[in-house]
Amino acid sequence: MPGTAYLTRKTLTLSRPATDAISVPYFLMRVLLSAAFLFPAFFGTLSNCVAQEVSFQRDIRPLLSDRCFKCHGFDDETREADLGLHLFEQATRDLGGYQAIKPGDAAASEVIERLISDDPDEVMPPPKSNKPRFSAAEVALMQRWIAQGAKYEQHWAFEKPVRPEVPAVADSTSAHAIDRFIDNDLASSGLRANGKAAPHTLIRRLSYDLRGLPPTVPETDAFLAAYASDPVKAWENLVDSFLASPAYGERWARDWLDLARYADSNGYEKDRPRSIWPYRDWVVRALNDDMPYDRFTIEQLAGDMLPNATVDQRVATGFHRNTMLNEEGGIDPLEFRYLAMVDRVATTGSVWMGLTTGCAQCHTHKFDPITHTDYYALMALMDNADEPEIEVPVPGLEKRRAEIEKQMQAMEAEALAQIDEARYQEWLAGQKASRTRWIALPPTSAKSNLPLLEIQPDHSVFASGDFTKRDVYEISLDLSAVGDEPVTALRLEALPDPRLPAGGPGAAYYEGRKGDFFLSEVTARVDGRPVSFAGASVSFGKISVGSGEARGSNIYDGDGSTGWSTSSQEGIANELVVQLSEPISKGGQLEITLLFERHFVAALGRFRISATTASSGGAANSSHTPDPFTASDPDLRRGYTRVAPEFESYQIDYDSLKKSLPEFPTSLVMQERPAQNPRTTHRHHRGEYLSPKEKVKAAVPAVFEPIREGDSANRLGLAKWLVSDRNPLVARVAANRAWSAFFGRGIVKTLGDYGYQSAQPSHPELLDWLAMELVEKGWSMKHLHRTIVTSETYQRDSKVDSLQLEKDPDNVLLSRGPRFRLTGEMLRDGALQSAGILSSKAGGPGVFPPQPDSVVELAYGGAGDWKVSKGEDRYRRSLYTFSKRTAPFAAYLTFDGPTGESCLPQRDRSNTPLQALTLLNDPMFHEAAEALARQTGSGQGTDPVEPGGVIEVLFRRVLIRPPTTVEKSEIVEYYEKQRTSLAAGELKTEMIMGDKTLATPELAAWKMVARVLLNLNEAITRG
Amino acid sequence: MNESLRQLTRRHFFHDCGLGLGRIGLASAMAGGFGNLARAAVSNPLSPRDTHFGPKAKRVIFMFMAGAPSQLELFDDKPKLRELDGKPIPPSVIAGQRYAFIQPNAAVLAPRFPFAKHGRCGAELSDRLPHLTGIVDDIAIVKSMKTDQFNHAPAQLFLNTGHGLPGRPAMGSWLSYGIGSEADDLPSFVVLKSGGNLSGGAAMWSAGFLPGSHAGVPFREAGDPILHVSNPAGFDNQAQRDSLDLIRKLNERELGTVGDPEIQTRIDAYEMAWRMQSAAPELMNFADESPATMELYGAKPGDPKSAYANNCLLARRLIERGSRFVQVYHSGWDHHSQVEAGVTAQAREVDQASAALVKDLKMRGMLEDTLVVWGGEFGRTPMVEASAALGRSMGRDHHPQAFTMWMAGGGIKPGVTLGATDELGFNVVEDPVHIHDLHATMMHLLGLDHTKLTFRYQGRDFRLTDVHGHLVEKILA
Repeated sequence: MPGTAYLTRKTLTLSRPATDAISVPYFLMRVLLSAAFLFPAFFGTLSNCVAQEVSFQRDIRPLLSDRCFKCHGFDDETREADLGLHLFEQATRDLGGYQAIKPGDAAASEVIERLISDDPDEVMPPPKSNKPRFSAAEVALMQRWIAQGAKYEQHWAFEKPVRPEVPAVADSTSAHAIDRFIDNDLASSGLRANGKAAPHTLIRRLSYDLRGLPPTVPETDAFLAAYASDPVKAWENLVDSFLASPAYGERWARDWLDLARYADSNGYEKDRPRSIWPYRDWVVRALNDDMPYDRFTIEQLAGDMLPNATVDQRVATGFHRNTMLNEEGGIDPLEFRYLAMVDRVATTGSVWMGLTTGCAQCHTHKFDPITHTDYYALMALMDNADEPEIEVPVPGLEKRRAEIEKQMQAMEAEALAQIDEARYQEWLAGQKASRTRWIALPPTSAKSNLPLLEIQPDHSVFASGDFTKRDVYEISLDLSAVGDEPVTALRLEALPDPRLPAGGPGAAYYEGRKGDFFLSEVTARVDGRPVSFAGASVSFGKISVGSGEARGSNIYDGDGSTGWSTSSQEGIANELVVQLSEPISKGGQLEITLLFERHFVAALGRFRISATTASSGGAANSSHTPDPFTASDPDLRRGYTRVAPEFESYQIDYDSLKKSLPEFPTSLVMQERPAQNPRTTHRHHRGEYLSPKEKVKAAVPAVFEPIREGDSANRLGLAKWLVSDRNPLVARVAANRAWSAFFGRGIVKTLGDYGYQSAQPSHPELLDWLAMELVEKGWSMKHLHRTIVTSETYQRDSKVDSLQLEKDPDNVLLSRGPRFRLTGEMLRDGALQSAGILSSKAGGPGVFPPQPDSVVELAYGGAGDWKVSKGEDRYRRSLYTFSKRTAPFAAYLTFDGPTGESCLPQRDRSNTPLQALTLLNDPMFHEAAEALARQTGSGQGTDPVEPGGVIEVLFRRVLIRPPTTVEKSEIVEYYEKQRTSLAAGELKTEMIMGDKTLATPELAAWKMVARVLLNLNEAITRG
Repeated sequence: MNESLRQLTRRHFFHDCGLGLGRIGLASAMAGGFGNLARAAVSNPLSPRDTHFGPKAKRVIFMFMAGAPSQLELFDDKPKLRELDGKPIPPSVIAGQRYAFIQPNAAVLAPRFPFAKHGRCGAELSDRLPHLTGIVDDIAIVKSMKTDQFNHAPAQLFLNTGHGLPGRPAMGSWLSYGIGSEADDLPSFVVLKSGGNLSGGAAMWSAGFLPGSHAGVPFREAGDPILHVSNPAGFDNQAQRDSLDLIRKLNERELGTVGDPEIQTRIDAYEMAWRMQSAAPELMNFADESPATMELYGAKPGDPKSAYANNCLLARRLIERGSRFVQVYHSGWDHHSQVEAGVTAQAREVDQASAALVKDLKMRGMLEDTLVVWGGEFGRTPMVEASAALGRSMGRDHHPQAFTMWMAGGGIKPGVTLGATDELGFNVVEDPVHIHDLHATMMHLLGLDHTKLTFRYQGRDFRLTDVHGHLVEKILA
């Protein structure tokens, strides 16, 4: 375990000599020491002032990676002097009588010459690179490494983890594996481990960590009592009960949603709302059910591709639908789809591989072994999906829907049975006499600029795949179906289809209404001769986004900005009929070109072209009754009951039933594309969307073992590979993320980067032990969490003394318990819970807790987008707060909450005056303070309440611990002063109190005290 | 003990009490091998940072004309367009370009207004900018701006963060990270806004991957200028101070027991919050401004019609009080239809106050070390935009290939016009200035080498200028 060894055994005991050795002022050195894990390249030098075997992994690669690989690394496009220092073979090859590195002979190694050269043209790294020169100590290190044979080693993270042996530590008090690893390093550091934290601290720590909430007073009392008799048992029981709490899934879902860049709006300029909360609820459920992490992964990446995929498994694929959607007018939709793919590659890399793939979007990664082609090969694995929205049946609603549908069927059957045959036949004859007889023309071919056009058995054409904002369809139709009569008019039916957005007929999925289309121009030719139009009619016409009219004649006026659209009638068939200037007699092949041109995708998704030979030419029929010539008998009868006057009351009843059908919520999912329309993925020069180069074959990066034979090179294959032992990183990354949640920093500090540039792990063996524990215990996250929190290390007191601060300010060695500020979400949830007003309602659409209008006013849509929720929804857990990307809930953002714009492996934990202003002055926290004050009983009874008792209640609710005598007296002093001012009218009770019915000076003063408590560092911190 | 704790811990100086206060570009200092930059910082972590070299400007006011003003109606007269008015633009010119709304066969639209030369420098401006003509010898006009993005949100993000997608730090955040703050009671990076909604959204003043305390602080148009900067309902200053005193007392006791220096940082943050509470009303109260100054800007506190003028004056007050970067957004320049009426109305809203800001800074001796920048996210097409479906006519679409910005003060050569476009105003033909070049130049004026101010994130050293950016020497004084 190299990383730890050098820090603990050497660095911490050699500060003075080391600083002298590399000529850094002592004071600066002290500061730098603490940053050792941030900048291993620099600190690699420190350890080597004491002779020992030089390790490539620990000492050399960080130096080379930081200062040399940019020009002498993996990227052969930018490699200078054709020299690579990243591989032994390259670094040691003959350069014409000399070698950059000559193993065993530092003096004959050119690289050393270059490092120490005074010639600005010779010295490496060159001055213009802005890279620091190698210090004398670093050069010495290089020399010793070469002298010792210049051994190269694989980067630790690319080696498969093996479960290390748990060290036996003489003075460890614990048999717990985690403690053995931690104490082993601690033993040599000269630091003594803190004892166990006080029980009220422990329950608060565990409660926030496992549930994201403070414990209640009864929970605390029960635990303290149990702890007094059997601390170990009490702790285990507490851990089990918290792990089993539904709040567990809500707390851990937040961390996962940071990675998933979850939000309830589309992002970019318009940032309109989207419905993907069923995915969020899926995550909560999966975590509460302790779904094994491998399955958790596979379902989110490729749930739709599992055999007999359930709706739940499809909803899980929302993970990669959390990318943003640009609805700004006039964007190139495929460019933003490409950018979403870039995001998916980056996110997959961060979450499951701990790799920063971003560099390889533009060129071969300079620091990690990922080539430019590897990057697009990885993209190709995920690229072959459509992105539909599906209905998510909710059990209660599903039942209700089925009941209503059954009623509707019964009602319809009854109506059909009541048809008076004579009247029906009379109606039918009338229909046949008045309606135009259309003959559907069988398409012989259907081509487009991009979308896949497929001819359906009913002679309609179905479009799928990718669309642009200017699509052109070319359809060839066989006129022989018409017979010998001349064709006088053509009809285009815009047809609904459940596969289309909002049921079609259009393919619009952003900016315009979903399912919208805009037919700009139609041209026709018969056997190569142009056909001209002499009038048009439509069954319905309306344009979305804009003020233009949707007349039928727009489609042959030569102006692409006018056209036909049936906006607002999504899911309904409509038709356009054009009269021909001259009838087509005895035609052969009819060629129709349809142009769809708007500032958003607006092609038709399903349509059919028919012809008539009626001498009148016919007109569009807007009755929506079935075609009397082609429809089936039952359909016609059904159509009759829909219009016949004697069925009026049935029509009203039927329609109102139909209206009462509850709608299912929808969610965004991935859906593998059909075999006939695979998407090809290209390498993009410099990562630019407009510069696609050669096609790439889907694969995992070549540095890893490939996808197992038998698994396909697709999303499912990738998902399975990611959680297989062929990916050496997945378990380490997952375990490290969990560790970081409990300890405030990861064993590898950079939670999203385990590559060559990442910080060395502080406890590499422990990391591997945790990783293997996760894998071997069935990928159970709850087991991993239980394992961590039952260690002594986790339960240590978080007090810090000056020796600890000096030697280990960041608590890397964990001689003390972890302390860190709570997240904004936890602060709000904690305040509501302490105040007794937190709602336990789980799941459902995002809610809108109160915040100043001015927050959302800054966003494009303005403040109208934030209508504060009423009742219980005002007090829901923060996980359920509507997450608007361009105007995130202010209180969370102020505390470093996510925007949902990209994967966030690690939140910052800043400490700013704006946070102070929020906690001090945000009405939301005042509301909590008031409710908290009411919990004391003050102001509500007739009995005077003893201040000491009130303070006791407030402390136990907020800080969990009881107050000290001194604290009590300080608070009483403050309370009395404020109460006196309030009673004297110097402060206005009724202004301070939100609920004017309870406006006593006492309660107002207690509210002020409660607010102070919510602002204490102790309340904000999980200690 | 508290002082020694503060001295000792890195956490204090990595996670100090924010607002960009006293932050060091540590990653870049590390990469640069601990020169003077780092040493100065360590000796006094709360002071403003040293720059890479002597700065010409100490602060920036960026008047961001969101929506993209038409350069053809304001700065870049094209007689050839008048000649070709109504005729289709040659296909060879437009081939391969992507546009947001128009189709490639659109006709040419002549500039709508007369142009004339002004000042000693003889810079050409349209008659829509009568106030700017008065300071034309104090500014540098760049007619050869270029950007990569042709839609608002990506282009606004690009101009603010050097990248077309959300997630990168804003210019102001880089500056805060690079050279710290001079204000101890107001934010260093402030965002002011008027005229409507912004396409790029909050990502434009986000700190991106830099520590969150470098984020821009948006001042709100209604209610508290800084969120929650006023006392809560019913609290007078005494009650607020009493509460803070109790919080402080209890926090100090915790610090004594627990010893975590982060607690001291929290105590400091609360004290700074208190100072902000008193500084903000003073800042927002224009009563101490002379009537002449108010008139110069056309500022009328509380009048929504003067929102931009008020913000320009507020920007000056902010930089007087130590803010480093004030972003003044004014929306409403997106003239897809009726560009003539649109530009007329918008210019009337901004011309006087924009010019007033430069005049005022000059009178106060602040122009020499304040960099002023004026412009939008891209330009507008020489072709007309018209669309029946959208009800548009006589407008112009987005044009990233060529547009105009102007700059003044802090190291900018006054009275010059840089760059030129072709006779159709379609492409830049002389001295192109890409957004990355603008950023590099701004950083340079602030004493920072844009290639050296880096932050390591996800295994890579990021810069405001990515791997691009050239200094625009010709506009340096």
